Amino acid sequence: MSTDTGMAYTTFNRNEFDTFSQPMFFGELVNVARYDQQKHKIFENLIEKQLSFFWRPEEVDLASDRKDFMDLPEHEKHIFVSNLKYQTLLDSVQGRSPNVALLPVVSLPELETWIETWSFSETIHSRSYTHIVRNIVPNPAVVFDDITKNEYIVRRAESVTRYYDDFINLSNYYIQLGEGTHTVNGETVEVTLRELKRRLYLTLVSVNVLEAIRFYVSFACSFAFAERAKMEGNAKIIKLIARDEALHLTGTQHMLQIIAAGKDDAEFAEIARECRDDVVAIFTEAAEQEKGWAEYLFKDGSMIGLNKDILCQYVEYITNQRIGALGFEPVFPARNNPLPWINAWLNSDNVQVAPQEAEISSYLVGAIDSEVDTADFGDFDL
Amino acid sequence: MMVSAKAPLIRRRRWFPSRTFYSAAQTEMELVGGGSTQLEMDLGEPAPQNRQRIIPAPAPEPADQGDLFGYLAESPEPTPQIEFDGMAKPVFAVRLADGREARFQHAGSLLESLESQDIHIEYQCREGYCGSCRMKLREGHVHYTTEPMAWIDDDEILPCCCIPVTPLLLQ
Ligand code: FES
Ligand SMILES: [Fe+2]
Ligand SMILES: [Fe+2]
Repeated sequence: MSTDTGMAYTTFNRNEFDTFSQPMFFGELVNVARYDQQKHKIFENLIEKQLSFFWRPEEVDLASDRKDFMDLPEHEKHIFVSNLKYQTLLDSVQGRSPNVALLPVVSLPELETWIETWSFSETIHSRSYTHIVRNIVPNPAVVFDDITKNEYIVRRAESVTRYYDDFINLSNYYIQLGEGTHTVNGETVEVTLRELKRRLYLTLVSVNVLEAIRFYVSFACSFAFAERAKMEGNAKIIKLIARDEALHLTGTQHMLQIIAAGKDDAEFAEIARECRDDVVAIFTEAAEQEKGWAEYLFKDGSMIGLNKDILCQYVEYITNQRIGALGFEPVFPARNNPLPWINAWLNSDNVQVAPQEAEISSYLVGAIDSEVDTADFGDFDL
Repeated sequence: MMVSAKAPLIRRRRWFPSRTFYSAAQTEMELVGGGSTQLEMDLGEPAPQNRQRIIPAPAPEPADQGDLFGYLAESPEPTPQIEFDGMAKPVFAVRLADGREARFQHAGSLLESLESQDIHIEYQCREGYCGSCRMKLREGHVHYTTEPMAWIDDDEILPCCCIPVTPLLLQ
């Protein structure tokens, strides 16, 4: 690749190069999808883990949710459906954007495959929303069609997609035209690798926020319903989604930390340092939006066990946690988790602390890996 | 069908962090119709119960208990601290910077040990991939029982997937 002529994207790079000398992004385009040599083994581990998490929405029985939903008071229906719409938006974005944005500029095969695996799992989440919506309303279109019309959703869509779009925009020019000042359709376009890296870094931060904070208001509501034994099928699906999201969050944290540590690209580390204020701004803005969302959710009334104030405290708490993991100071006053019961729900395998929770059959898949001779149990009472 | 000639060996099986009980033995028992079990599991269709049950002859006691720690660690119970009589205990003091104290005696993980002593740490996955349980390790060393995947700083640990090998000071 030459920076003068742009990357001239090719689906199979013929150059020979040492993969260990490559950065995560903007190095050589990947050629052989091989996993025998890994510069960052973590991405291979993430792929393995994500594959082991595979699930299908149809495995979760939603039969009782239908009746539960009918019986919910109107303001709780509003909470439930609004969250579903917002999650649908987020996963629609995540089901495609990591691929569209990151694949053209990735330089390591294990990272390339992680991105694809990650994005694929988001499409499962999207499919689960259709499964849920079909079950609770006769005509799913009334829910889905509103996503692009509802001003509260649209406003959030804007900030969720802005960084992706800005990056993709410039990256397209870079791939076609390379660095430099270009005139495209009468407009002047300035393309520098440094600006591209900056936009990529901010995109990764905003994705981290999406997966680590934005989903959690919905999660909290879903589990608050399930605490009352309402919409439990939905809660099972949310558990499986939360399990995947925890992995995605770890993936973006690793990318951001590898960049910040300058492990494979010194310029990128410098950019990360310059962007520290932007990172704080992105986290703070998202937290404020989520608090605004909590207000919208509860505009006609709170739900049992959860109100706007507790949810806002939870947003602040989780924002501090997430930004702390990236090596930043907390942005809100330190506090303990205001919803400690949520941990047990977020733990996808834990059925004991939520005794009303039925088993999910997918957990049995692959769970059996050797045998026990029953005679050997003797007096053991299992 | 299972044979009784096998050495009385409890094969290692992997308990998933799930506290739902399932195992190869149980599945096999269900499938051959030999099992009566008080455990609940979701196997879809009920297993046929019409085949003859073969009860293996009692096997002699094993001379060597083998890896008892390993076995107990795989107990499907929410692993509390386990007391042994007449055995040297690998006990490590675990202190927190806020003054709380605990002792790690024998538990599946540091997180479980702390929880059983009423010190509650944030968690989500309990398997080392989400980072929720992240703590600062101010003094001491730990051993990871599962390779941690979540990003942590050099001075941090994930108590859900490690055990102490020395006394610890945590924050
Ligand atoms: S609870 Fe997830 S890493 Fe420890
Ligand atoms: Fe998702
Ligand atoms: Fe995700």
